[in-house]
Amino acid sequence: MAATSTYMASTHFSMLGWTTKGNNKQLKRRNFFSVSAQEAEIEELKEEEKQEETMKKPRPVEPQINVESKNMTRDYGGQWLSCATRHVRIYAAYIDPETFAFDQTQLDKLTLLLDPTDEFVWTDDTCTKVYSYFQELVDHYEGAPLTEYTLRLIGSDIEHYIRKLLYTGEIQYNMNAKVLNFSMGKPRVGFNYNGQMEDVNQ
Amino acid sequence: MQGRLSAWLVKHGLIHRSLGFDYQGIETLQIKPEDWHSIAVIFYVYGYNYLRSQCAYDVAPGGLLASVYHLTRIEDGVDQPEEVCIKVFASRRNPRIPSVFWVWKSVDFQERESYDMLGISYDNHPRLKRILMPESWIGWPLRKDYIAPNFYEIQDAH
Repeated sequence: MAATSTYMASTHFSMLGWTTKGNNKQLKRRNFFSVSAQEAEIEELKEEEKQEETMKKPRPVEPQINVESKNMTRDYGGQWLSCATRHVRIYAAYIDPETFAFDQTQLDKLTLLLDPTDEFVWTDDTCTKVYSYFQELVDHYEGAPLTEYTLRLIGSDIEHYIRKLLYTGEIQYNMNAKVLNFSMGKPRVGFNYNGQMEDVNQ
Repeated sequence: MQGRLSAWLVKHGLIHRSLGFDYQGIETLQIKPEDWHSIAVIFYVYGYNYLRSQCAYDVAPGGLLASVYHLTRIEDGVDQPEEVCIKVFASRRNPRIPSVFWVWKSVDFQERESYDMLGISYDNHPRLKRILMPESWIGWPLRKDYIAPNFYEIQDAH
């Protein structure tokens, strides 16, 4: 991560409360996260203090009511700005966590759908880790153009982070997943993690 | 060693440099980027009516970028058509080469690919934009100093 001085603009991010609750362990659980980027001059000092911390706190976007799907028709190209890999789907839009209404007019927000195919077993703790890493990356890429390339850089970093979590044993494969193909490597027994990422090909 | 076309160009006072012959004995010429458009028109009038291939490459790390044109003279009843290979070199800092789209239309996609892969900007090309990579891509993938971003790919699925 770059030094504090290279952060291009101070921003105010926030996070949407995701729908998972601690006791809600069913398979159809949705992991949900969205952040917004808004210019806020006053936040500058606080922001710099925050960047000293090792882990950023995700800040929730206020949940919106009466969200409708907007700009989804063919007139707007029938597509959206996104980065979609298996475990990370990032959209530059507000997505309602309940109804999945997809508001593409709100381009100042990024929404992260974490592991929609339920390949891993997530706890609130590990979810928060990924969300805070997402928040950190979004802060880091502040000022970068909002293009697919930037979203893909963010998404790839999150995927690598998820892989790291898997290798440290913080998350496990969900054995009840619909597609069980161990896309981040076969599970190992007695794998000893000594603080370094093992080479994938070994 | 001078080929036929080179001798013809010398006769007409056109600036070029002979790079010898390739393994098939096809004459290779180097032409300056600023002269390339007018000489291309002259070649077309001379009879090179078919652009067989256009490609580009990065000559050396930190060095020049090259755009290569293979021209053929197609005529009735010829089984060994006249061929020539033209190389145009441009600096890495500001690679600008005039487009020959208006001379040989078939160069359209090939110059776009050269632009996409090496960042050579072809002046007067009608729609010069990326053709293989996504339009928001950053960097020129076939340059020798290109560093691929660490994008996540599924590698281990079983």
